[in-house]
Parts: sequence; C-alpha cells; structure tokens
Amino acid sequence: MKDLRASDIREILKVTQQPEVISFAGGLPASELLPAAEMAELARDVLADDGVRALQYGPTEGMQVLRELIANRLQSLWALRRSTDEVLIVSGSQQALDLSGKVFLDKGDIVLCESPTYLGAISAFRAYRPRFVEVPTDDDGMVPGELESRLSSLDRVKLIYVVPDFQNPSGRRWSLERRRDLAELAARFGVPVIEDAPYAELCYDGSPLPPVASFDEAGLVILLGTFSKILSPGLRLGWVVADSEILQRYVLVKQGVDLHTSSLTQLLAAHFMLENDLEAHITRLCDVYRGRRDAMLAALDEHFPKDVSFTRPAGGLFLWVELPEGMNARRLLERALEERVAFVPGESFFPGGGHENTLRLNFSAMPEERITEGIRRLDRVLASVGAAV
Amino acid sequence: MEISIDRDSSEPIFRQVVREIRSLISSGSLPEGFRLPPERRLADSLGVNRSTIFNAYRELKGLGLVDAHVGRGTAVLRAPAPIPNAIGVPWRQLFRQSVARSHDPIIADLLALTEREDVISFSIGLPAPELLPLDTLGEYTAELIREVGAPLLLHCPTEGHSPLRETLAQWVAARGIRARGSDVLVVSGSQQGLDLVARIFIDPGDVVVVEEPTYIGALQSFRVAGAKIIGIPVDEDGMRTDILASILERERPKLIYTLPTYQNPSGAVMSLERRRHLLELASRWHVPILEDDPYSELRYEGEPLPSLKALDENDLVLYQSTFSKALFPGLRIGYLVVPPVVLRQLALAKQGADLHANSFSQYLLERFVRDGHFATHIEKTKIAYRRRRDRMAAALQRDETIGLEFAVPAGGFYIWCRLPDGVEQSALLANAAARGVVFLPGRACYPTEPPENCVRLNFSHASEENIDVGIERFLEAVREARVWGRMKGPDGIATSPVV
Repeated sequence: MKDLRASDIREILKVTQQPEVISFAGGLPASELLPAAEMAELARDVLADDGVRALQYGPTEGMQVLRELIANRLQSLWALRRSTDEVLIVSGSQQALDLSGKVFLDKGDIVLCESPTYLGAISAFRAYRPRFVEVPTDDDGMVPGELESRLSSLDRVKLIYVVPDFQNPSGRRWSLERRRDLAELAARFGVPVIEDAPYAELCYDGSPLPPVASFDEAGLVILLGTFSKILSPGLRLGWVVADSEILQRYVLVKQGVDLHTSSLTQLLAAHFMLENDLEAHITRLCDVYRGRRDAMLAALDEHFPKDVSFTRPAGGLFLWVELPEGMNARRLLERALEERVAFVPGESFFPGGGHENTLRLNFSAMPEERITEGIRRLDRVLASVGAAV
Repeated sequence: MEISIDRDSSEPIFRQVVREIRSLISSGSLPEGFRLPPERRLADSLGVNRSTIFNAYRELKGLGLVDAHVGRGTAVLRAPAPIPNAIGVPWRQLFRQSVARSHDPIIADLLALTEREDVISFSIGLPAPELLPLDTLGEYTAELIREVGAPLLLHCPTEGHSPLRETLAQWVAARGIRARGSDVLVVSGSQQGLDLVARIFIDPGDVVVVEEPTYIGALQSFRVAGAKIIGIPVDEDGMRTDILASILERERPKLIYTLPTYQNPSGAVMSLERRRHLLELASRWHVPILEDDPYSELRYEGEPLPSLKALDENDLVLYQSTFSKALFPGLRIGYLVVPPVVLRQLALAKQGADLHANSFSQYLLERFVRDGHFATHIEKTKIAYRRRRDRMAAALQRDETIGLEFAVPAGGFYIWCRLPDGVEQSALLANAAARGVVFLPGRACYPTEPPENCVRLNFSHASEENIDVGIERFLEAVREARVWGRMKGPDGIATSPVV
C-alpha cells in the first residue's frame, strides 16, 4: 500500500493544540455543550440495568434498540420510511466511508465527487486506489448536465459521493431540484450514491431539505449519518441506511473490520434518545452555532478586503473563502500561524489539487469574541501578504 | 385518479397523498400535462380538510413534479425518467471482487443465535456474564465521567488516549515485553488490529501464512484483503515450524499470523523450541510475524512461556492483545505493540478507517487497569473458567462409545474436539441447533478444505449447569448424526489431505 499519505489536517491539528492559537482549522463541536453530566447518569443506569448487554459482544448490525430509534427518527425528520433491517450502526461515519470503499472499490474504479469534496472521504477511499473525478459544482450542488456527461462517458464509475447539506468544506447546500436530479441520474445509470449527511440537522435558517435518499426509488442511495455533530464525537457512533441487499455486504465487511461497534456507547446513545430530548439538545446547538456563524460573517464583512469572497452557509460548521487569483493559502497559513490563527488550506479538498487560493474556516468551536479576534488577526495577515504579492 | 389513504397510519395524511400522487406520476399513470383535481374536490372525495390537499400540492410543486397557475389548476410537469426496478441493479458487478465472492457471514449468524435465550451457546468466545463486576461498575463509571467531563466525549488521538498507552506499556512488561507508551497503538478491538495489519502489508495476491486451524476472524480479514492464505498444521506443540520452513522458501509470504498461546481454536501452546525456531525462520526470510495473544492471561495450569515479542531481537514481531477475552468485549478495545515505523503506518490506516477508538471506553479501561481492578478480575475469572473447562471435559467423556477425541487445554476459552467418522458437520449443526445448543463448525477455521472433522466448543460463557445440559444435547446430536451418516455412506466425509 504505497498511496497512503499523511493527512494535511493531521499536521495542522498538531500545531493548533497550543491554547494561544485561535484555530478555525478543526471541525469540533463546542465542548461546553457536550452533555457530560447527563452521560454520567445514563452510564450508571445502563450499567446497572443492562450491564451484561453493554459489556458483551453484540450483533455486527448494531443494537436493535438503537437501530429502531434511528429508523424512527429518519421517519419523523425526513419522512423517510426505512425498516430497522436497513440500518447498520458503525463506529463513526469515517468507518461508513471506509466500509463503502471496501465494499465497492477495486483499484482503478471511478468515484465521482463534488469539487471541492470532504477530505476524510478522499483519505478513506484513497486506500482502495480508485480514480477521483470531480464533477463541476455550483452553489446548488453538482451540475446535472456535467454529472450526466461523465456518467455516460466514463466506464468504471462505481460511486457518486456527495455531501448535500452544508458541505464540508464549502458550507454549500444542494437545492431540492438537484437532489431529485441526482437520484434520477443514479437510477438511470445504475450507480450507487453515497449521501454523507453529518450536518443535515444543523440548519440555522429556514427549514431543512429532504435527503437525496427520499427521492431514491431504485434503492441506490446509501445514506450516512452520525452522532458526532449532534451528541458526541468521542463515542464514535454513526449509521448507514441502505437497501438490505447492499447493507448485507456492509455487515460482512464490518465483521472483518471490527466485529461490531461498542455496545456500551450504543446503549448510551440509545438511552440518551429515550430519556433526554435529543431534538431539544440539537436546537440548543443550532442556537449557539447560528450566533457564531453570524459573528464570523459580521467580522468578515467588516474586515476582509472586497476582493476576497466567502460563502454564507445556512447551516453546518464551515464556511469557504476564496482569495484573489494568484494568492496561495498554504503560504498564507505559515504567516497566519505566526499571528496565532489557523485554518485549513482549500487545496486539500480537491482530489486533483489546484485551487491554491481557497481556504476553509470553522466557526463552531469557539466563543464569538474569539472568532472576531481571529478574523481580525487573519485580516492583518492578509494585508501583509497582499502587500507582498 | 385513484388515491387511497390510511387514517390509522402514523404518516400524516398530506404525506400519504404526496406519496400516492408521486408514484402515479413516476409510473406514468399521470402523464405530463395531466390536470390534478381541484383541491376542494379532492378534499371532499377523500373526506379530508382542504388545507391537507393544499399542503400536498404545495409539496408536489416543491418536488418539481407539478406546476400550479391561477385559473389553470395544477398540472403534472413531466414524468421523471423511468426508474429501473431495484432488483435489476447488478449489485454483484458493482461490489468489489473480493467482497462479491466473500463467504457467508458465519460469525454474525452465530452471534445472532447466541442472543436467543433458549439456546445454550458454545459457539462464540464470550466471557461469562455473571462474572462482570456490574454491582460497582455503574457508579465507578459515573464518577469517572463527572471527574473527566467533556474530554471523555471528545476526539482523542488516532494512536490512542495517551495515559492508556502508558498503562498498557506497563501491563505488557509483565509478559516480558519492553515497550514505551509510544510503542502502543490502541485499536477498536483486536479484529481491527488484524484488518489494519492486512491493510498495510497485503496487496491482492500476496501470501499470508496462518496456522491450520486458526482464528476465523483473521481468515475473514485476510480474504477481504485479497491474500492468498496458506495454512501450516498445528499439533500439541503449536505450529509445525518444520513445514513452515519449506513454505517460506517457496512462497515468500508477506506475513505470518500466529496465536502461540492457548491457540484459537485448538488450545495448543507453542513450545519454547518452536517459538525460537519460528523467530529464526522469520528473521532469515525477513517476514514479519503478527502474534495474536488474547488468551495468555487466562492460564489454568503450567508455567507461562515468554511471548514471541519478548523473545524477538530483530523487531519482526507485531504483538497484539485485547480486553475482550479477559474483561469486556462490548467496549471494543484492543492494542498492538509494534516498532515505530509500523505504528506510523498503522495509525495512518486507522485514521482513514475510523479516526480513533471511542474515547469513552479508553478512559474507562485506563482507569480500571490502573486501579488494579483488571488484575483482580483476571484472578477471579480464572478460577471460574478452570472449573467450567473441567466440567465440560468431564461431560464430554460421559459417553465414550461415541469416540470423540480432544485434549484438555491449559488455558484459553475452547475445547477442540474431533468428531467420529461418519458425522457430517452441517447435519450435526442443524440437529444440535434444533436441540438448543450451538457450536462453531471446525471447517470455518481452515483456509481451505479441512483435513479433519472437528468442532470448537467454548466453555467460558455457559454456567456449569448449562455446560452439563448443553453437552448432553450435543452428544445426542452427535449420536443421531452418526447413525444418519452411516446410513448415507462415506460420501459426506471431508478427507482431502492438505499439506
């Protein structure tokens, strides 16, 4: 296995662990909003009442109770009717991506993805040595004509990978029509779609849009979800929702990968859903994140030069910045770290490279005044570099 | 236009209407340009509020399926492209080659059977539920969470929670392994260790050497990686290293996988002499050894032998162990002790695979081991497991006319039992399951056709009473399968020799 590369994010995160650095690089939830006190109570009760199940091996598919709760939640959130048998619990959605690669990708197969696309997916798929083909993408999602021409001209397209809701890194949300178009094209060409939806619930303006999976009548859309953004990333819990024919293969592969996901953490999440109000918890998160997004946008509006453009995401954790052509975000980062502010250069999110003038900013992980201060620092860096260019 | 709605359904009526009309459009029953009935008329005919139909039409419009104009009503925009039937999707061609031809998910099936209360299971290597320290663990954990707070719910490094890595380095020192915390990689159960090792060493077509029989989960990982798997027979002194020698020369494998201590499934312990011979061979041919050591803590008699890792002077041994056998499998935490250059590659692979093992379990185990509870727990379980092993061995000997052959293992979880000639395993498994007892068919533990007709019986999970009852059921099933097999003649017996 020679293609495995050290991830860029990994290197950046090391630097940003110093407390004096204002980091817009990570994708972390706000740690003060984590329900640690509730978890302490739940852990005590789960171990007392259901300890054997929590500590023993469990089924590869996941705990029945959690699968059922997730199936019900899909129904109530998105009117998505899926049976418990169509839900697989995984060890975080990173595992769902890895399993997808393991199930579908032989060397040389093609993955169609957005441009830019999620870095963790690139690194998960890359282990299986596929070819990535970026499909031109605008503010509303992949351009259907572009997708169609690639589906009809390319030979070995195995997967279409998309993040339709408040995408990492761009913050973009697909329009309703584009979602329907994608489901139709996938069905017409018989190509499975991985719909990665970690941010779907983090919607700050207006109402959320239904997932691509809700337009899927051919059973080709594989929907990935996670507790990482709405409950806790440390529990490492996610889910895969797919047609049972596909899901059986995921189960088979997962068995060889880690047997099953931790029973204790599964029960903790299930009991959190049963005994606490997960939706109210998410509403609280959204209120805080909305304020932080607004603070970042206000600071960008106030400080950033006019030739720098940025997205105004209606949800999620990130926004996307485009510097004037010719500027290099990687070099900018070196200077930014001297000013103790960090971000992720956008280049890493394009499998084919390029786009050196883009970068990603996270707004969820710190209080509003730190955000404002960080953007001020960034602006100082921009001014000094701009002068140099 | 015919629509039916179900008032008792939990699905809101407007959604039912949307769904019905949508499927009429996509099936072509409602062609492009078709005018939907006015809202009031449809509402009256279905006996629902007009607002319900209003909402349904609005959603259909949002979906781009219909368009509404004042005065012209609501018309179907276009029929979406014909959608092929899901059954028509050629899934087998879409799946990866090694996945499309993978074997049955036998472990998942057995785990599912184990969940049934009326079944006594000797199939899976489960710790005894009664021995779990549940009376104190709840409050212990709650206190830990209150003390640690948010970090326990946040990400931790891919390599593992640093204090746990330090604690594990000290723990393995008791097995003669010299390691620092930075040599330890925490994984999501030792199955993941196998998978990660396969990822970084094995390209499709590469050769992996395993013991024969061996751990079924290892075969699964290596198969999915596309390895060519070669089995080396195991006798009472472990892997036949004399046979290994010629295989190494001929096949140049990428990896040797071994369970030297209380091997799963045979229970064998590799002798000191063989351990040295194996290390010597590996070093001569530069082949890394993955030493899987889940059971060495569970020693019921005899003196412990040093692990391969403790004897290794050439940094060729990748050592792996787990908390799943001696403690809590449900937490899914295992660990590897490996040279730094290997650790780096494994960590990169792990990052792509699942970022890191769950923080919660890592904090809990670290504290549990450091407080000395793990050591206490092992002492307690060893006493119980030794009794269960003896109870099972005695029960198996109750009917000597059957002709079962087995050795009593000095440690671990399993009795490996050779069946008499004429017993067909699939018939026996079905027969036994019908009587309420399950076991692992031995053939699952072989990379190719098994030379012998064996079954693996786990003795750690069932209580002593259930061991008696379960073995009685098992013996009945063997007796019956044997008669049946004799009537059928020798065709059903697998005898093809494998070297």
